Amino acid sequence: MKETGLGDFEEVIMLVVGILGEEAYALKVAEEFSEQTGRKVSIGAVHSTMSRLEKKGFLNSEMGTPSPERGGRRKRIYSITASGHRALELSRNLKLALWNQFPGFAADKVNFGFAV
Amino acid sequence: MDSKPHGPPKWAQRLLVGFLREELAEEVQGDLEEKFFKVLHKRSPLRAKMNYWYQVFHYLRPFAFRSTLFQPSIYPDMYKNYVKVAWRNISRNKIYATIKIGGFAIGIAACLLIGLFIKDELSYDKHYPKANRIYRLINSSSDPEDPMSWTAFAAPIAKVAMQDFPEIENVGRLIPFDWYDAGANQFKPLKSDKDIYEEGFVYADQAFIDILELPMVYGTSSEALIQTRSMVISQRKAEKYFPGKNPIGELVVLNGNVENPYIIGGVMENFPTNSHLQYDFLLTLTGVEFWPGEQNSWCCSNYNPYVLVKEGADMELLEEKVQRIKTEYIVPFYQKREDPTADYIAQYQNIKLQAVGDIYLHSDGFMEAEKYSDINYVWLFGTIALFILLLACINFINLSTAKSANRAKEVGLRKVIGSNRKNLVRQFLTESLLFSTLSVGLGLLIANFALPFFNSLAGKSLELPLFEWWLFPTLLLTIGIIGILAGIYPAFYLSGFKPIQVLKGELRKGSKGSWFQNSLVVFQFTTSVILIIGAFIVHRQMQFILDKKLGYDKDQVLMIQGTNTLGEKILAFQESLKQLSDVGEVSSSNYFPVSGTKRDMNQWWKEGKTTIDKGVGAQSWNVDPNYISTLGMKMLKGRTFSLEMASDTAAIIINQAMAEELAFDGIDPLGQIITNDFQPPFRIIGVMEDFHFASMKGEIKPLCLRMGIGGSITAAKLSTPDVQKAIRSISEVWDEYMPHQSFRYTFLDERYAAMYDDVKRAEKVFATFALVAVIIACLGLFALVTYMAEQRRKEISIRKILGATVQQLFALMTSNFLKLVGISLALAVPIGYFLMNGWLEDFAYRIPISWEVFLYAGLIILLIALATMSYEALRVARLDPVQSLQDE
Repeated sequence: MKETGLGDFEEVIMLVVGILGEEAYALKVAEEFSEQTGRKVSIGAVHSTMSRLEKKGFLNSEMGTPSPERGGRRKRIYSITASGHRALELSRNLKLALWNQFPGFAADKVNFGFAV
Repeated sequence: MDSKPHGPPKWAQRLLVGFLREELAEEVQGDLEEKFFKVLHKRSPLRAKMNYWYQVFHYLRPFAFRSTLFQPSIYPDMYKNYVKVAWRNISRNKIYATIKIGGFAIGIAACLLIGLFIKDELSYDKHYPKANRIYRLINSSSDPEDPMSWTAFAAPIAKVAMQDFPEIENVGRLIPFDWYDAGANQFKPLKSDKDIYEEGFVYADQAFIDILELPMVYGTSSEALIQTRSMVISQRKAEKYFPGKNPIGELVVLNGNVENPYIIGGVMENFPTNSHLQYDFLLTLTGVEFWPGEQNSWCCSNYNPYVLVKEGADMELLEEKVQRIKTEYIVPFYQKREDPTADYIAQYQNIKLQAVGDIYLHSDGFMEAEKYSDINYVWLFGTIALFILLLACINFINLSTAKSANRAKEVGLRKVIGSNRKNLVRQFLTESLLFSTLSVGLGLLIANFALPFFNSLAGKSLELPLFEWWLFPTLLLTIGIIGILAGIYPAFYLSGFKPIQVLKGELRKGSKGSWFQNSLVVFQFTTSVILIIGAFIVHRQMQFILDKKLGYDKDQVLMIQGTNTLGEKILAFQESLKQLSDVGEVSSSNYFPVSGTKRDMNQWWKEGKTTIDKGVGAQSWNVDPNYISTLGMKMLKGRTFSLEMASDTAAIIINQAMAEELAFDGIDPLGQIITNDFQPPFRIIGVMEDFHFASMKGEIKPLCLRMGIGGSITAAKLSTPDVQKAIRSISEVWDEYMPHQSFRYTFLDERYAAMYDDVKRAEKVFATFALVAVIIACLGLFALVTYMAEQRRKEISIRKILGATVQQLFALMTSNFLKLVGISLALAVPIGYFLMNGWLEDFAYRIPISWEVFLYAGLIILLIALATMSYEALRVARLDPVQSLQDE
C-alpha cells in the first residue's frame, strides 16, 4: 500500500482548491469548505493547512491582483501541482479499491460521482 | 452609535501585526478585512468585530509566527550591563535609592502581613473531613422593624430534623452559652481537693462529635459522650489534670457538686486556632433534661443544631423544606397556647442553613454566645493593603520619572549606538525588577520584625510561613508583578526620549513635574489624609463610648468571680466585705451590664393580656437589694427591693424602655402586674432609668430586675483610691471563706472597655496604617523635593545673587507641592466623611462628625509635608551661591 501523505482535512482542502480554481485564496477556501461540509472553520486553520500542503509540494501559490474590498491588498491564489494531482488520484483509487472489496457494496453499485 | 464607518477592531489588528510573519501580513490582513466587511454586511458591527477577533486568535499558529518572536533579541551580556548600570545608579544616589527601596519594602511588608492575616481569616473551619456537608440551622427574622438572626432552637429540633428530612444524615446539638454547667466552672478531679476555675464548658450531643469527626487522643469518638454524665476534655486540659496518663473513666467534679460527678469519656485533640469552636470541655446531653418535659417542648430555645446533609443534597430545596419545622412545630406550639406570638413567627421567622465554613466570617450581628470575626474586617484590611502597595508603587514611579533627566543622556547615547526602544524598556524593567527584588527581601525582614506588633493589632498569633512550599514562588511572583507594575511607566517614559534632543541638552528639566506625576502625589496624600481622618473619628467614637454616661457607675467596681461556690455563706461574705474600710456597697448577681455575664430573655405581658398582646421581649435579671446602689443606677419612680418585705419575691423593677414598650397609656406603672407565663405574676415596684447593658450599636432594650440572692459574681464598690490595698484586704477575707479556691477578680470598667475591643482594634488599624501611608508618601515627597532642589540649584543661586530672600526661595520650592497637598485635602474630606459616616451608622449612640476632625487632619498633613520639605528646601536656599555656580 502506498502512502499518499494526505490527511482527511488536507484532502478536502485540496479538492476545494481545485474546485475554486482562480478564486482559491484562504478566505474563499474556508467559506467553500464550510458550505460544502457544513463545518465551521477559521481562515487561520485553512491557511495553515494550505501552507503545509505547499511545503509538501502539493500546492503552489502566487500573489494575485489587489482589490478594493480588502483595502487594496493582494490575495494569495493557490493551485494544485502535478504531484498534488497524483496524490489526490492515489487517494481516490486506494479508497475505490477498498470499497470494491467491501462486502455488500459490489463495485458496480459504488458510484462516488467523481467526474475524472 | 457613532457615525464613523466601522472598521476592524484596532487592538485585534495590532495583535495580528505583532505576531504575524511579515511576508504573510498582506494576504492575511486582506483576507480578514474582506471577511470583516462581509460579516458586517450580513450581520451586525458587533458580530463582525467578534468574528475578527476570532479569526485573529485562530491565526495564533506556529506557521504564521514571525521567526524572531521567541528568539531573544538581546544577549545575556546586555543584561549584565543593565544590572551593572542599575547598581552604579543605586550607589551613586544613596539617599534616593534608600527611599526608593525602603518605601517599597515598607509597603511590601505591610502587604505581606495583611496577606497572612487574610489567609488565616479565610482558613477557618475548613478542616473537618466533611466540612462541605456540615451546616448549622439558624433563625432569621425578616421583620423590617427588628431584623435579626439567632442560632438557638428548642430541644426537639434534633429529633424532628432527623425524622422529617431524608436529606439530613445527622444532627448534633450544642449549648455554648452560660447555662447550668455550660460556660465557666470550678473544676477538679474527684481525688483532688483544690477547685480550679476553668472556662470553655459546653453541652454537646454525641452526634456533634460524629458530625465534626473530632480527632481523639484517648477513647473512641463514636462513644465518647454516649454515657450519661460523661464529658470529653481537650488534650491540653488532660495534660494539666492527668499528666502522662489516660484519664478515661476518671471522675471529675464541677463547683463542688461531689454527689453528681462527671466521668471522662474521651480526650479530644485541641481545637485548631482556626476553628470557630474553642472549647475544652464537652458535657454530654445524653439523658439530660433540664426540667421535666424540657426535651419535648418547643417553649425554650437553647440549642444550636449542627447538621450533616447527605451527599448530593439539593441545598436550596432543603432550605425550603426546613421551613416545615416552623409551620408544623413552632407555630402550632404557640397557637395552642393562644399566644399571638404565633402570627408574628409565621409571618417573619425563617429557618436557614449556614455552611460551617461561613460561621466565622458571616455571623456578624447574630444573637449568639460567641463573637466571631467579620468579613468586613477582611475587606478593610485587604483594601488598606492594596492602597499601601499602590502608594509604594507610586513612589517608585514618581522617583524614576523625576530622575529621568539624569538618565536622559544615557538613553540618548544608548540609542545612538544602536539600542532600540524595546531594549531600553527591557533595561528599565530589569532595573525595576532589581529594585523590587531588593525591596521584597527587605520587606520580608521588616515583616519579620513587625510581626509581634501586627499580631497584637489583629488579635492573632500569625507566623511567617518561611518554610512553606508556596512562599518562595509567591514571593517570586510578587517581585515580578510589582517590578513590572512599578517599572512599566518609567520604562516607556524614559525610553521615549529622542536622542538628538537629549544629547543637545534640549530636554526640559521641569520644575513642576508632569500632570501624571502630580496626580500620583495627590493620590498618595489623599489616601493618607483619609486614613488620618478615619483614625481620628474612630478614636473619638471610642472616647465617646468610654466617657458616655451609662446609667450606672462603672468606675471603682471590683468584680469577684466564682462566688456561686460560697453557697449559703454568701450573705456572711458580703457582710465581711462591708466591714472593710475600703469597701462601700456590695452586691452579688450573675447578671452585669457587661458582656460575658449571664443573660436571660423572657417574654412579658400585662396581666390578662397573654393571648391579646404580642408580648415584650426583655432581659430578666435576678439581683439582690444592693445591686442598684452598688452600681449607682437611678430609680425614676418607686423603690428598690428590700429583704424585709416578704412580698418582694414577687416584685419587679422595670427600666424606662420596658415601661414604654408595655404601653401603660398614662396609667402609673407602679403597682401594675406583669407576667412571663411560666412564673407567678410580678408586681411592678419601681421604674429605673435606662442604662447601657448591651453594645452601643443598638438602642437600649427593655430590661427588668427580679430579686434573687447570690450569684457567680460579687461586685464591691471601692471607697478608696488605693485600689491595691483594697484588693489585698478583700483577698484576705476571701481566703478565710474559700481557702481552696483562688481569688479571681476583674474591674467593671475594664470589662466594659473590653466589649469594644473591635472598635479599639479599628482605631489601631487606622492609626497604624495611616502612619505607614504618611511615611511612604513623605518619603516620596522628600525625594521629589531633593531632586528638584538639585535640578534648580543654579537657578536658585542666581535668584539669590539677584536679591531673593531665603523665605522667597523656600516658597518657590515648596509652593507647588503644598498646592498638591491642598488638592489632596479637598478630595479627602468628602471621601473621608462619606466612608466614616457609613462606619458610624452601625452605632445607635455615636458622635457627630465635626469639622475639627478635618481641620486637624489637614493641619497634620500640611505640617508633616512642610517639615518633610523644609530640610532640603532650606538647605538649598541657604547654600553659598558661589559654590553652586563656580563649576560652570
